[in-house]
Amino acid sequence: MAQDTLLRINDLKLYFRTASGVVQAVDDVHFELAHDEAVVVIGESGCGKSSLAKAVLRLLPRNVHTYSGQVFLNGTDVMKLSDEAFRRQVRWVNMSLVPQAAMNALNPVMRVGDQVAEPMMVHYDVNRERALEQARRMFEHVGVPLDFMQRYAFELSGGMRQRVAIAMSLVTAPALIILDEPTSALDVLTQANIMNMLKRIKQEMETSFILITHDIATSSELADKVAVMYAGQIVEVGDAARFFTEPLHPYSRKLMASVPRLRGDAEPEFITGQPPSLVGLPPGCRFASRCPARFDRCDENPPVVADDGREVRCWLYDHGDLSTPIQNETEMEQVQTE
Amino acid sequence: MAEATQTADTTSPTKIMAAGYSRTVGRVAKYTLIRTVALLATVVVGIYLTILVANMGGHVDEIRRGQIRERVAIGVSMNPDMRQLPTAERTKMINEMVRVEEQRLGLDQPFIIRSFRFLTDALTLNLGRAQHISSDSGSRTVRLIILERLSPTLLLMATSNLLLFGLSVFFALYLSRKYGSLMDRLVIALSPLSSAPAWFYGIFLLLLFAAVLGWLPFGGMVKAPPPASRVEYGVSVLRHLTLPVLAWLISGIFSGVYGWRTFFLIFSSEDYVEMAKAKGLSSREIERSYILRPTLPNIITSFALLLIGLWQGAIILETVFNWPGLGRLLYSAIQLYDTPVIVGSTVLYAYLLALTVFLLDFIYALVDPRVRVGS
Repeated sequence: MAQDTLLRINDLKLYFRTASGVVQAVDDVHFELAHDEAVVVIGESGCGKSSLAKAVLRLLPRNVHTYSGQVFLNGTDVMKLSDEAFRRQVRWVNMSLVPQAAMNALNPVMRVGDQVAEPMMVHYDVNRERALEQARRMFEHVGVPLDFMQRYAFELSGGMRQRVAIAMSLVTAPALIILDEPTSALDVLTQANIMNMLKRIKQEMETSFILITHDIATSSELADKVAVMYAGQIVEVGDAARFFTEPLHPYSRKLMASVPRLRGDAEPEFITGQPPSLVGLPPGCRFASRCPARFDRCDENPPVVADDGREVRCWLYDHGDLSTPIQNETEMEQVQTE
Repeated sequence: MAEATQTADTTSPTKIMAAGYSRTVGRVAKYTLIRTVALLATVVVGIYLTILVANMGGHVDEIRRGQIRERVAIGVSMNPDMRQLPTAERTKMINEMVRVEEQRLGLDQPFIIRSFRFLTDALTLNLGRAQHISSDSGSRTVRLIILERLSPTLLLMATSNLLLFGLSVFFALYLSRKYGSLMDRLVIALSPLSSAPAWFYGIFLLLLFAAVLGWLPFGGMVKAPPPASRVEYGVSVLRHLTLPVLAWLISGIFSGVYGWRTFFLIFSSEDYVEMAKAKGLSSREIERSYILRPTLPNIITSFALLLIGLWQGAIILETVFNWPGLGRLLYSAIQLYDTPVIVGSTVLYAYLLALTVFLLDFIYALVDPRVRVGS
């Protein structure tokens, strides 16, 4: 794993105004990503994963309430750039996006080849032939037949559209690709095909990935690093190897326990309760109401404890040692008897 | 690829393409034929209904018989030679003259038979002669009457509608980018102004600019007598054109902008527009290729319908501004039961509408790859 930092996000906030109040979709998120590294952002639906992608790419809807924080890309804070500078220097030059639903992400009246080639013409000022040549290479890369370049989006299957969307994200060879649930709209076979292709691309091209997904099983193959998101916050970040064997945060542990195993007889568990609404969140740990290890201090905002390259936002590790959580059975019993 | 939809590769690609091409031609030819027949049938039915309505199902014939008898009777009683004749002979003579006149005008045949002759005449654009109205140059030929009124109407309606359409789309695009801004909310708040018709604003404008300020003329198309020099003539027409066009714009602009703005807002929240933004395209490129281009079929439709709508003129606006256009012609034709003029103007409109609808189908297929002619 390369050590130099590609992306560093500090205190990133993205709140939306809605009729029922302010939605804290992304709240004080911070994490780092090195060159040539893949981080998987895991979380339930509605926990703010996609909003995180939008916040990083500055793709804001019309009802933004708060948008603040720092996003360092190769050392420069891109949040300070003007919209025009952000468009020229960041979008697709350094960061590209594979959208959630490739169904609608392609312009219905433009040939897909032209759409893939478009960023080359916009950002690198090359002529159409050169851009199409580059697009052709990307089509080969993602396994789409070259004669599909002449087609329109509605003439492609869902899997092919997703491949085209990935080809589009690769065409300018950006340092970072954000994949927002790239396979969730596809059938299982196609999902596996796409994930294998992404693994191959990661090996062949030196690109960093932020893979946003709720599918823990398929993402585990690609991840160098895992970030778990819950109710707008990142509750745990760590390297994949240790995360998948020994998650720290009670939510991560429950999440991992809910994944069916190929070997062993352990039945998948489920997490009782519902994630909280992101409108008008009370102070304190956001997972507390569903947490089996809840105790008194959970009513206050938990600290972020960092140790040995892992971070967790939980009172259980307040003493600074991530290997042993606080034993708090007495408090737990108290909670249960109440 | 598991999900690739591979075409059969047993035959050569050129053969497949040739077969596909001839299939396309066949499909388009079949579609063109069916469509033409269907549209012509619609035109025939529409025209025939117009003939029935304009003649009030034959009742207009009764009115005209009465008019003929009255005219003949007055003519006979005014004639000193005939006044001397005995009453019985005079009545016989009047009856004979009425019969001849009715025969001349074809009134001796039942209406239902003549209605089909009217239909074939109308469909072959043999528009005939007007009964009461004549053109300013004195002709009774319906074709000449309509042609004479056509250019003033087109001048007024084309100027106002093209301005209205262009301004609406332009401002709507601008507002869709500034959603929720003060300007945006102002336009929405003012859109009920469009519920009043153009002539209503026309009266106010006349009051202000013609009566009080005296800057612009009250009505007509050019001042009387018309200026001799071409430049002066043009300037005079422009001065007469200003108020009606302005009235038309005031009445249409707010709802026009509001409608198009909402339309563009819906289409600019499509995923592919956000994707284009993520790709770092400039807002001009996004507007052109990702908002206007996919919505081109809708824009073309409303533009084409607007173009043929020009034909009918605006009856009350032309009346308020005393504009010598088709709208006013139609109005007086209806008042005078001048059926040839009513039917003539309707048949031209029907043909234009059918042609436009026919062409639009092909234009859609040209501008939108999702649409295929005849599929």
